[in-house]
Amino acid sequence: MHLPKFDYLEPETIRETCQLLKTYQGESMIIAGGSDLIVAMKQRLKTPKYLIGLKKVASLQGIAEENGELIIGPLTTLQDLVDSATVQEKMPLLVQAAREVGSPLIRSIATIGGNLCLDNRCRYYNQSEFWRKANQQCIKAGGRKCLITNKTDRCNATFSSDLAPALIAMEAKVTLNTPESERIISLADFYTADSTKPNQASGGGMFLSKIRIPLPTQSLRGIYHKHRKRQSIDFPIVGLAGTMEFAGGVCQKAQLVLTGVGSGPIIANTAVNKLLGQRLTSELINDCALAAATGIRPYKTDLTTPSYKRKIVQLLVAETIKVLGGISE
Amino acid sequence: MKKIINTVINGKEYELALEQNRTLLEVLREELGFTETKKGCDQGECGACTVLLDGKPVSSCLVLGVNIEGKKVMTIEALATDGRLHPLQEAFINQGAIQCGFCTPGMLLVANALLNNNPHPTQVEIKEAIAGNICRCTGYVKIIEAIETVAQETKTC
Amino acid sequence: MKEYRVVGKGLPRIDGPEKATGKALFTVDVFLPGMLYGRILRSPYGMARIKNIDTNKALSLPGVKAIITGRDVSDVRYAFVDTPRYPADEQPLAVDKVRYIGDEVAAVVAVSEAIAEEALSLIQVEYEILPAVYTPEEAMKPGAPLIHEEHREGVSAWEEWGVAQKSSADQNNEINIPNVSSRSTVSFGNVEQGFLEADYVREDRFETAATAHCAMEPHAAVASYDPYSGKLDLWLSTMGIFLKRYVLSKALQLPISKVRVRHSYCGGAFGGKIDVFPYEFCAAYLSMKLGKPVKFELDREEVFTTTRQRHPIVINIKTGVKKDGTIVAQDIKVIADNGGYRGSGAVVVFLCHGFSFPIYTVPHYRYEGLAVYTNNPIRGPQRGHGAPQIRFAIDSQLDQISRDLGLDPIKVLLKNVRHQGDILPNGDRLNSCGLTAGIEGAAKAVQWQEKRIQFAGACDSHIKRGVGISLCAMFSGAMYYPFASAAMVKLHDDGSATLFTGAQEIGQGCYTTLAQVLAEELGIEYDDVRVVGGDTELCPIDLGSFLSGGAMITGNAVKLAAADAKAQLFSVAAEILGVQPSTLSCSNKQIFVIKDPSKTVSYAAAIQGSIYRRNGNPIIGIGSYKGNPETDRYPSLAKAKGLFTSAYGFATQAAEVEVDTLTGEVTLVKAVTFHDCGFALNKTIVEGQVQACMSMGQGQALSEEIVLEKGQVLNPSFLNYRLPISLDTPEVIDKLVETLEPNGPFGAKEVGEGAVAGMLAAVANAICDATGVRIHEMPIRAEKLLAALEEKEKAKKSS
Repeated sequence: MHLPKFDYLEPETIRETCQLLKTYQGESMIIAGGSDLIVAMKQRLKTPKYLIGLKKVASLQGIAEENGELIIGPLTTLQDLVDSATVQEKMPLLVQAAREVGSPLIRSIATIGGNLCLDNRCRYYNQSEFWRKANQQCIKAGGRKCLITNKTDRCNATFSSDLAPALIAMEAKVTLNTPESERIISLADFYTADSTKPNQASGGGMFLSKIRIPLPTQSLRGIYHKHRKRQSIDFPIVGLAGTMEFAGGVCQKAQLVLTGVGSGPIIANTAVNKLLGQRLTSELINDCALAAATGIRPYKTDLTTPSYKRKIVQLLVAETIKVLGGISE
Repeated sequence: MKKIINTVINGKEYELALEQNRTLLEVLREELGFTETKKGCDQGECGACTVLLDGKPVSSCLVLGVNIEGKKVMTIEALATDGRLHPLQEAFINQGAIQCGFCTPGMLLVANALLNNNPHPTQVEIKEAIAGNICRCTGYVKIIEAIETVAQETKTC
Repeated sequence: MKEYRVVGKGLPRIDGPEKATGKALFTVDVFLPGMLYGRILRSPYGMARIKNIDTNKALSLPGVKAIITGRDVSDVRYAFVDTPRYPADEQPLAVDKVRYIGDEVAAVVAVSEAIAEEALSLIQVEYEILPAVYTPEEAMKPGAPLIHEEHREGVSAWEEWGVAQKSSADQNNEINIPNVSSRSTVSFGNVEQGFLEADYVREDRFETAATAHCAMEPHAAVASYDPYSGKLDLWLSTMGIFLKRYVLSKALQLPISKVRVRHSYCGGAFGGKIDVFPYEFCAAYLSMKLGKPVKFELDREEVFTTTRQRHPIVINIKTGVKKDGTIVAQDIKVIADNGGYRGSGAVVVFLCHGFSFPIYTVPHYRYEGLAVYTNNPIRGPQRGHGAPQIRFAIDSQLDQISRDLGLDPIKVLLKNVRHQGDILPNGDRLNSCGLTAGIEGAAKAVQWQEKRIQFAGACDSHIKRGVGISLCAMFSGAMYYPFASAAMVKLHDDGSATLFTGAQEIGQGCYTTLAQVLAEELGIEYDDVRVVGGDTELCPIDLGSFLSGGAMITGNAVKLAAADAKAQLFSVAAEILGVQPSTLSCSNKQIFVIKDPSKTVSYAAAIQGSIYRRNGNPIIGIGSYKGNPETDRYPSLAKAKGLFTSAYGFATQAAEVEVDTLTGEVTLVKAVTFHDCGFALNKTIVEGQVQACMSMGQGQALSEEIVLEKGQVLNPSFLNYRLPISLDTPEVIDKLVETLEPNGPFGAKEVGEGAVAGMLAAVANAICDATGVRIHEMPIRAEKLLAALEEKEKAKKSS
């Protein structure tokens, strides 16, 4: 499978990057590690004339602790995240999530920025050019209808990032740069729930330049569960990141963020609200799990049925709350 | 338009004029004739094309040729040195960890990278390290055992 | 058990260093000067008529050297099965009709693969889309669109080989149902009577999915034609060089003497690389047309969708037993989904019978197998070739029957299983059979008694555990072109030897084991042997690596060739020493008189002596062995009459599983195989083969399936086709039952294909043991299992 022709541009600063984005507006795409984009280009899902490679922009690398936050450059590879003593010590939830992505080979190339910007996935979309011609072009590929629902109203490709739920659960913020601006928003707000353009950078002309995560307090517990058929290579069927903090047995803080079940990361708000200010009981846990499961609308974009995904969500939410609450079976 | 890339492959310096859309795998196999790195799927899903890039195992089908500028690439050709097979190669041969041989270069390089980082891995760590390298011929048992043997042997000396 | 000097030992592979250093050359690694690259244009439709193909735009793309379509090669036909009853139905490029998504329509050759790929998009094809059918059920309905409207008349390959004759009597197996491509029927005893005599009768339906071989080396071919000598050289990633040479030379209208398949290592095959494929024909044809080397390499999606898949099969099985579990009668009906062309459908429906009847004694038996055309991808041989599907059905049902009657499944197996000395209804004789020993061994290894007690007690956890067992058998070679293997042993001055064998190394270790056989028989060391293999010019005929005849057929040929060379050595030595050859023995490449070991002649001296005394004869040993020596006839696929094989390999397989009853996920905790391979020529290689079979069985039981939707494969990638990875590896116990097959070299017979088939029912039975729920489908999908568990809970609550 050959890559289409493109010009590979290598800015060395953020300013240069912005200049290139402006010059080649509408014809260019940002490439970080490439583990997602290269495959998409081989499949002719994406054919930018210009690839703006960020590997030479030094300020996009690195992991540093600053003012109670961990500042991570988006070009940090997932393997570097996993290997970082700082991240292991300060943010084991992030290590846990990073370790679940792809396979060891993918993690050597893939970056945190790339995983946060991972395109949504669907069995009718992530296929070769010949395959899609033999079928139909779906909405995401420029066609008229979603081949899952057969309707024309929206694309239902599934959000599949493993790091996003973990980082959202830790209240991460991201810095977004365009040629004209630089702003900081919460990671949760970065996502659009529009499967054709799942995040604010999807349309081109924008990139992430920093990820900042407040250092968790000592008492904040976190866990990431990834449910998939094989424990390597596969994308998540369902992924759940949970963080909780207790004081005197009462839940003070909670966050439950799902991937693999919608067009964006799904924050299980109903479940979270039920937990706040409460002691854990099995009835409460079951209520939360049920609420989370019924609050999602997954589609059969991989080979898993929506009802099965809901069951897994229900199990994972219950399990996560139990583990974080220190309750054994 | 071609780009000039300077890189080190298996300890030797190269100056290459590369089309920008070539992957490292294509550069190795087609431009340089290094057929020891294999193409299994060309989509980063099987590990047959594994090389070490600055010591890290990567799927060379996902790496752009232009991105190896200033980097060190190691293929299976460099594992044996001074006319002697690497202990991993010996173990693979002696313990039946090779059958058709197509996944072998990638598997050996990943094992090499693992032992360089973690000389005494547990069985679970070995399985995790090779979890991105698919083998259809062996069922993995003898591959895991061969890596364990080498890990054990380096313990005793 | 006799200990030999060389055979039996787990010696390191002869091709080990080449493969460990990456120097081994696979077909995909062949690059020749001036080589051109080919790509194939494929049908996007399940069934359509080709109205017109316009290649002008594509031809004018700079770098494109030639384009061919079906019109250029319309007379060419070939197929895996080509008999009077089942004439070949494949053409290299579709002439008037395409019959599955991916069917070959045109071939382009250019200076680079990228340009050839670009040219494909410039070829304009006008199609008339036709209604298509995607299940055997749909295809067999009255009025269903006919996928093949007529079959060619003419002399079939099998007639040319002299193993099939047109006979009007044979026509009686025709069946008047649309799209049935082949039919096998067998019966013995009186099955209706048998059911009347049974105390308990069960009827079940089972269904298996299409699966993929997943050989790591993609399919590829390199052809290089020299117009001056008229010779064609081929490098094919294949399992049978002589079959390919035969079919391609006929298709290209070249004399066999002008076609040479050269050696290259094959990066895995598992049955998927024996059919002759369009890309091979096109490479050769275009090389001949252009006088330049041409390479075609399929991409991974093409490998998944346009080479071959395992037949999905629906099995309806009715079995009657006595109350002690003795089988009295069995009625089996299978329907296999061929895909758009016959592939190996006629063989697989014969083999579902072939792998059903060597295991249990069944006095009253009836079998019918239909292979049906559909507009799905083509199905062909895949490790086991019918055995996994049929064994899954038979042994799942027998396990269920045991449970229904409150009997221990192991005891029921032991009651029904065949033994050494049994003569099968078709005449095959079980000169060796290790099933009983295998059952006893496997039961112990999986801790059958203890685990069933232990797991039965563990009610509260949502994790349930269980054990299950199943049996399977596999031919040791069968009658298929070229019907035999031959070997040549050339001795060198110093007594070392080179073995010339047409066997093809596909990972199974044949060069190694054959070198061991040679060394053992000839009385030299393993290190003294070099192997020249896989070349149709240099090597004599070989059965190929797709009939599980490597040990038995080729092994015997090599042993005989070595014995021949040794006899010549002894004859010369006897002359030199002035004694009879029968008074001699040998050791360390020295021939000596048994009663007076000081009288000795070295191999080197004997070889030199031969040259001087035997008019220059440097000693070349020749041996050959035929599958089924007693017959010249291939068994009738339609009637399953005739001998099938000289020996069967047997495997008893057991599994311990852990079922998460909340998610339906199943983990294979322990996998056990007791394999009767007669004798392990190389213990390490045999273990490795069995372990891989178990891994494939595990995958095809729990996670592997080709998912199709209207003839299109939804998961044509290693990402979404879930074959096992390292983390899936269970605790593996693989042991040998060495029954010493009298007809096998040193007692060896089949190993390396059979031990997939028993894993499926072993896992299904273990899941039933754990949960009480039986799944009738392969693979056992988590969602399906979960739904069945929930049904069971509901039923329990309401009762």
